[in-house]
Amino acid sequence: MFLTRSEYDRGVNTFSPEGRLFQVEYAIEAIKLGSTTVGIRTPAGVVLGVEKRVQSPLLEASSIEKIMEIDSHLGCAMSGLTADARTMIDHARVTAQNHAFTYDEKIKVESVTQAVCDLALRFGESVHDEEAMMSRPFGVALLIAGIDELGPQLYHTDPSGTFVRYEAKAIGSGSEAAQQELQDKCHKQMTLKEAQLLTLRVLKQVMEEKLDQHNVQLAQVTSEKGFEILDESSLKQVIEEM
Amino acid sequence: MTQRPQQHSFNPYTENGGTILAIAGADFSVIAGDTRQSEGYSIQTRYAPKVFRLTDKAVLAVNGFAADGNMFVKKVRQRLEWYRHAHSKDMPIRAIARLIQTMLYARRFFPYYVYNILGGIEEDGTGAVYSFDPVGSYEREACRAAGAAQSLMQPFLDNQIYFKNQTPAPGTSFPQHLPLNTVLSLVIDSFTGATERHIEVGDSLEMYVVLARESPSIQALQNIVGIQERTSTADGERIFVIRRDLKKD
Amino acid sequence: MNSFANRFSTNTTQLHSPEEDNFSDATWGSQAGFGNIAMGVPTFSIPDVADPTSFLQLHTDDHADPNCRIKIQHGTTTLAFRFQGGVIVAVDSRATAGSYVASGTVKKVIEINPYLLGTMAGGAADCQYWETYLGMHCRLHELRNRERISVSAASKYLSNLVYSYKGMGLSMGTMICGWDKTGPAVFYVDSDGTRLKGDLFSVGSGSTFAYGVLDQGYRWDLTDAEAQELGRRSIYAAGHRDAFSGNSCNLYHVKEDGWHFIGNYDISKLHYDGPGDVPGAPEGGYGYDIRVEGLSSANPPEAAASA
Repeated sequence: MFLTRSEYDRGVNTFSPEGRLFQVEYAIEAIKLGSTTVGIRTPAGVVLGVEKRVQSPLLEASSIEKIMEIDSHLGCAMSGLTADARTMIDHARVTAQNHAFTYDEKIKVESVTQAVCDLALRFGESVHDEEAMMSRPFGVALLIAGIDELGPQLYHTDPSGTFVRYEAKAIGSGSEAAQQELQDKCHKQMTLKEAQLLTLRVLKQVMEEKLDQHNVQLAQVTSEKGFEILDESSLKQVIEEM
Repeated sequence: MTQRPQQHSFNPYTENGGTILAIAGADFSVIAGDTRQSEGYSIQTRYAPKVFRLTDKAVLAVNGFAADGNMFVKKVRQRLEWYRHAHSKDMPIRAIARLIQTMLYARRFFPYYVYNILGGIEEDGTGAVYSFDPVGSYEREACRAAGAAQSLMQPFLDNQIYFKNQTPAPGTSFPQHLPLNTVLSLVIDSFTGATERHIEVGDSLEMYVVLARESPSIQALQNIVGIQERTSTADGERIFVIRRDLKKD
Repeated sequence: MNSFANRFSTNTTQLHSPEEDNFSDATWGSQAGFGNIAMGVPTFSIPDVADPTSFLQLHTDDHADPNCRIKIQHGTTTLAFRFQGGVIVAVDSRATAGSYVASGTVKKVIEINPYLLGTMAGGAADCQYWETYLGMHCRLHELRNRERISVSAASKYLSNLVYSYKGMGLSMGTMICGWDKTGPAVFYVDSDGTRLKGDLFSVGSGSTFAYGVLDQGYRWDLTDAEAQELGRRSIYAAGHRDAFSGNSCNLYHVKEDGWHFIGNYDISKLHYDGPGDVPGAPEGGYGYDIRVEGLSSANPPEAAASA
C-alpha cells in the first residue's frame, strides 16, 4: 500500500520519498519559536547570551534558566523546548563527569558535543523487541561553549544530531537578523568585553521589550575562571556600558 | 562406599616469575623487564616480553600471571585506540594511569593476577612512573620494582635513587634527578644482581627508554650498541629499546 | 529527570563491563571511547563459579593464607577529629603486603574535592576507586542542585554504595571529613555498611595506639596549632608501636574554606628531632630516649659507656 504524502510526517522512522524526515524538520522549526540565544567565541573565552521572555509582571524572572553549567570548563545555552534541554544537559554532565572519572582529565568540548548529539539521534530507536525509548526528536538547539587544550570553542547542535563549530552563532526566533548582525560586527581578535557588548546589542535589536538585567542572561567561559553566569550587578554594569 | 560429589576449587591463576622495574628521570623514563618465563622450577621460554610500547609517550610493564598480563595489555591497547578515534589525540599518560585503574577494578571480584608499572612522559614533559596493585590502587612514583625479585631490587633502588640511608659528603647534596646514563647503569646492575640471586630472573633484559620532546638526554643514547628506535611519529616524544643478555642458568 | 537521562543515554542502557567479551552494539557506535564504564553503578566481572566470594577469598585473603597469590595492600593508621577550628585529618603512609613494606609513600588521604576528604584503610584500591567515584557523584549533585553536597549526604551515598556489595569481599574503613552548612563534620563509613557520625575516630591496625594519645589530649576548644600537633603526635605513636604503620605522617586541616594540606612528616624524624619549627610543636623529638638519657641500662651515661 502506498502512503499518501501527508502520512510521511507521522513516524520518526520513515523517510519521505524525497528523502526527508519530516519530524526532524518540524523539530528544527520548533527552535525558531524559542527565545533568541547568542554565542560569540573570542581568543580570551566564549560569551553566551539569552533573552528571557518575561510575559507577566508576576513571573519571577530569576527562575527562568536558559544557560546551564555542564562542568567547570563547559557551559550551554538553549533555545526551543527548554524542557528537552534539561535531559540533554544532564546527559552532558554525566558524560563529562564520567570522562573525568575514567581518564582523570577534563573532557574536550567537541567530545561532549558529540555525546549530546548521540543522544539526540536516539529517537525512535528500540532495542530488540522493547518499546522505543524516546518517542520524538528533541525540540531544542544548544550552543555549547567551552575551553580545552584547543582553546575556546563554540558549538551549535540541532535536533538532527548535527553539530557545527562557529565563531559566533544566533539561534531562536530572532536568529536571522541576529546572525546577520553578528556576521557584520564580528572579528577574529575581539576582546571578551567587546563580545559581551556585541551579544547584548544583538539581543537588544531583536527583543521586543526594553533590555535590562532582568530579561537577559549573560554567561562566559574563560581559562581563568571557567564557566560563570554573570550576576545581576555585573550584568547591569555591562548593560550600562552599552 | 557411596559415591560422593567431588568439589574442585577453581584455580585459574599461576605465577610466571620474572621482574619488572621503572625509573623516572627529569625528562625521561626507563622501563625494564627480564624476558624469562617460568612455571615452578621449569623455564617455559627464555624470550617472553613483559614490557610493551603503548603510545609514543607511554610504556607498560606487566608481571605476574603471563596469560592475564598479555590479555590485559591487549585490552588496554584496544581502549587507547578507541580513545584516539573518539577524541582525536593520543591518551596522556595520566589518563592511561586512571584508565588502568578502572580496568583493573572492573575485575575486582575476579582479578587479573598482574602487577603493572606504567612509565613515560607526562604532558608537562616530565618523566613519570605509575605503579599498580592487581585490583587498581595506584600511585605516581620516581621508581618502582615489582615481581619475583622486587624485594631484592627495591632496597637497592631506595639507596641509589632516593639516597635512603646515605649522608651527603660535607658541603654537598644529592641530586634531585639522576642523568640517563646513571639510570641505565643502575637498571642493568639491578637485573644482573637479581639474576645472580633469584632463580626466576634471567635470560635477557629489555629496557625501554622514553624521552621527552627535544630532550638533551638523547646524548646518553648516542653510543649504545644495539639500540633500536620505536618512535612512530615525528617531533614528539621518542622511544628506544635496549637489549642486554643476562645469565641463562 | 535524571533517571530519564540515565535510561536514554547510550552509556547507561547497557550495563556492560568493558571487560566482557561480548561487546554491546553501542560500543561500536560513535559513543565508543566516551563512557565505557557503565553509568549508575559500574558493573564487574564475576567468576563463573558456585561461590564467587570464596573464590576471591581463596586468592586474595592474606590473613587466612599468607601464601595466597594476589596480595592486596593492608595495614594502616588513620585518624580524624572535629574541634572548634574544623577537622584534623592525619594518616601514616605505609602499605604492607604480608610483611613486605610495599610502599612508604602512599597517599592515604583522598582529596574527594576541595572541601571533602576521605581516608584510606583496608583495601587501597577499594578506597581509592570508590572515593573517587563518590567525588564524581558529589560534583553531579552540585550541578543538579546548585549547592554543595553535605558531608552527611556524601557519606551516606558511599555507605549505601558499599552496602550493595556487602559480603562480596570489599574492605574499607574510611572517614569522610568536611565542612558544610552544619559546620565541621566527620563520618565513619566501612564496608560492613556501618555509618557513624562522631567527633573523633581512628581506623586501622595502629588505631589503638593513636586513640591512646588522641583521647588523652582531645578537647573541643583546642587551638588550630594544638589540634594539628595532636594529630601528628597520635600518628607518630601508632607508627612507633604498630609494625604495619609508619614511614611518614600526612596532616590535613579542614576549615570553612575547604581543606588545607599542612605537611608531611617523617616518623623517624619525629622520633629523634620532632616536627621542626611548626606551630604547636614541642622542642626536640617525640621519643622518650632523651628523657631516660643516662638513667636506663639501654642507654647509659657517656662516662659509664666508655668505662
